[in-house]
Amino acid sequence: MKKCEHFRDLILTDHIDGQLDKNAAGSLENHLLKCSDCREFFKEIKDKATLPWAQALRQPVPAELWIKIQEKIENEERSSDLISDLLDRIKGLIVYPRLVPVLASLVLMLLVGSVTVNTIQIKQAQEKDQGEYLVSLLSSSSQAESNDLGTPIEHYFL
Amino acid sequence: MEDIAKDILIRASQGDMRAFEVVYKASSSFVYNVALRVVNNREDALEVSQEVFLIIHHKLKTFRFESSFKTWAYRITANTAINFAKKSSRAKTVPFEESFGEGAVLNEAHTQMDQEQQNQIVEKLLGELNPDQRACVVLRDIQGLSYEEIAQALNININTVRSRLKRSREKLLSVRRQVDYEKV
Repeated sequence: MKKCEHFRDLILTDHIDGQLDKNAAGSLENHLLKCSDCREFFKEIKDKATLPWAQALRQPVPAELWIKIQEKIENEERSSDLISDLLDRIKGLIVYPRLVPVLASLVLMLLVGSVTVNTIQIKQAQEKDQGEYLVSLLSSSSQAESNDLGTPIEHYFL
Repeated sequence: MEDIAKDILIRASQGDMRAFEVVYKASSSFVYNVALRVVNNREDALEVSQEVFLIIHHKLKTFRFESSFKTWAYRITANTAINFAKKSSRAKTVPFEESFGEGAVLNEAHTQMDQEQQNQIVEKLLGELNPDQRACVVLRDIQGLSYEEIAQALNININTVRSRLKRSREKLLSVRRQVDYEKV
């Protein structure tokens, strides 16, 4: 029956948990007086689906739990102390503001110096290469001349 | 869970370990027992409880007292335990029928049962439910929270609380009927 279905839904939740308002509770009580199947269902639900929980004992909290929690918190605090100590040291370096522009200009000078030296070296290397190339050209033409023995038959063939 | 004075919470949030110990003592029984029933074994419950208190310790600094500490702690506990149970395959236990199908005294009064057996029955019955259903049943039937409190703790609406409880109880009823049927 649809009515029974509705009342059984109420039995399974609000009625068993004492959450029904007076009107709804009254109409359910009236129905239970008339309907033996729903009465039986209510008894069964109470005994089989809610009673085991009522008899479930609260378990004592193991003593080791607090010890473990304390250890974890102390470890975390120690590691966060280390990090904040490191950050403080870094900050400590930055506290001396005069050092910063001096260091920055030193780094800049080193950079500019190294770039200039590099450019000069490259230029010198290029000039040296060009000179060597011209010398090698001259020497190859003089070598060709030195292969000429100056005989008429060679002149003829050359 | 016991109420905790605001000044204790403020001191704990400022790193006072003695104040945090007061917070721990007031809430550890709730946290551990919810964790134990949702993850359904002791080792995992310890791990979950530890995580819950570390989260509380970290987040107390940003706690603004807009909601009650209890509701806030319920939420952290339930979410941490549910997430752990969903990830962990260990939460799945042997089906209730297999464990208690034969020889178990399952009369409704349970008067003859010793505490150990009672506890095993609770564990096995919870093993029949999924982590979301388990959390609802634990918060309602074992911890006695109202629908409103459960809805806030799990961040769901009240009708979802109702439907999860309804399905859980239907499931438990069918498991218990099955056991009774097999015994006959």
